[in-house]
Amino acid sequence: MRFRSCWSFLASKGALAAVLVAALLMTVNASSQTAKRTAETAKKFVAPRTPWGDPDLQGWFSNLSEDGTPLERPDRFAGRRLEDIQGEELAALKRETQNRTIANFQGPLHAPEHWWQDDLNLVKGSQAWLIVDPPDGKIPPLTPQAKDRAATRAEAKRKSGRGPADSWEDRSLYDRCISRGLPGSMMPAIYGNSYQIVQAPGYVAIRYEMIHETRVIPLDNRPHIGSHIRSYMGDARGHWEGDTLVVETTNFRDESAYRGANAATLRLVDRFTRVAPDKVRWAVTVDDPETWTMPWTFAMPLTLDASQPVLEYGCHEGNLGLRNILKAARAEEKKAAEEAAKKQ
Amino acid sequence: MRSNFSPDGARRAVLVLLMASAAWAHHSFEAEFDANKPVKLRGTVTKMDWINPHVWIHMDVKGPDGKVVSWNIEGGPPNALLRRGWTKNSLPEGTEIIVEGFQAKDGDTTANGRDITFPDGRKLFVGSSGQGSPDGKAEK
Repeated sequence: MRFRSCWSFLASKGALAAVLVAALLMTVNASSQTAKRTAETAKKFVAPRTPWGDPDLQGWFSNLSEDGTPLERPDRFAGRRLEDIQGEELAALKRETQNRTIANFQGPLHAPEHWWQDDLNLVKGSQAWLIVDPPDGKIPPLTPQAKDRAATRAEAKRKSGRGPADSWEDRSLYDRCISRGLPGSMMPAIYGNSYQIVQAPGYVAIRYEMIHETRVIPLDNRPHIGSHIRSYMGDARGHWEGDTLVVETTNFRDESAYRGANAATLRLVDRFTRVAPDKVRWAVTVDDPETWTMPWTFAMPLTLDASQPVLEYGCHEGNLGLRNILKAARAEEKKAAEEAAKKQ
Repeated sequence: MRSNFSPDGARRAVLVLLMASAAWAHHSFEAEFDANKPVKLRGTVTKMDWINPHVWIHMDVKGPDGKVVSWNIEGGPPNALLRRGWTKNSLPEGTEIIVEGFQAKDGDTTANGRDITFPDGRKLFVGSSGQGSPDGKAEK
């Protein structure tokens, strides 16, 4: 009777029974989840610390293998997410990039790959494209102001009557051995992809092999310099957000403003996060409300590689190419003038 | 000195050459060199300038008329070449080489170097990994 009563009680209290069973299941499930989380925590990389307690990002890095990765999502991947292109699909894509690059180098105007490529290994590239935000992988539309600005620049250039090589001043900052600017100094290219990150209390320094730049970034929350002081590499200020080094750079010169941005309003935000013993994730948010309708971000890994230290790239040492470009332009003008004279 | 200015370059000039890539070098190839002026030069190294942003190999080339002409050959960046096993001593003065490349647009005796071979057919760092370097050491 007592048993029946008890059973009856439980039966009559079905809801309570369900709760008890659910609680039991939840306990089991929670235990399982806890175990899973513990395993994930064990697997999750914890960034090392400097002796003074900052996350340690230091080392020699390279991103050569990311060369050949398009900035924007190719149309063939429309509707796909970057993180979904993995495994064999990504490997096939990277083999395609490698083969295309080699084919380019083996054309009639071929360049021996070992002359120009320090280590062509694009098959190790880590992603299908670089833009991670917005999710469609595309650079957001230009603002009306940006379109007007570009049109004004083009018109001014047309009116000036200047050619592409009338003077050294008509050549790019790269041709002139001045700077690849930001983020250009860390964008992968066919060579010169070595970087060094060095830290000290209150500072982080980043060395870029090409072209011979070092950014010294203070971490003490000091304000930016006055807006009238501009430089090719801008004015950088850093701080830590968790384990991520966040570097905000402003004060660019017009000539070095990324992708035709308004130098006065362009703000680049680098984020460096050590995500594995041999990897730092580098992300850059490009923010200029005068140029793009919304900020956008690209990212790629930097791979620790002690075998690729930054070598000195004293670009002005013998930049005979610039002189030869101007000589070539003068020769072509002379030839055109002679041909025009013959026709008269 | 068994150097000559090969007619092979002239034969190749009839080829329609297309620019394969504009990003080979720190500066634009087509702004400086003429894709319609391939040259093949055989001569001896007089000096190698191991300088940034590109090395320059200077060589004496004897023409069909016996006249020696100095040529300046633009090569890769020293950092990239160093990483492939070159050193500033890879092409000592007096080394006989054959250079294939493209002449400067202004007709000067300046060229963008592509292939370098030695008279015995060995190539200098061209081709698959593992080919011999000029001093006979395996490429790293």
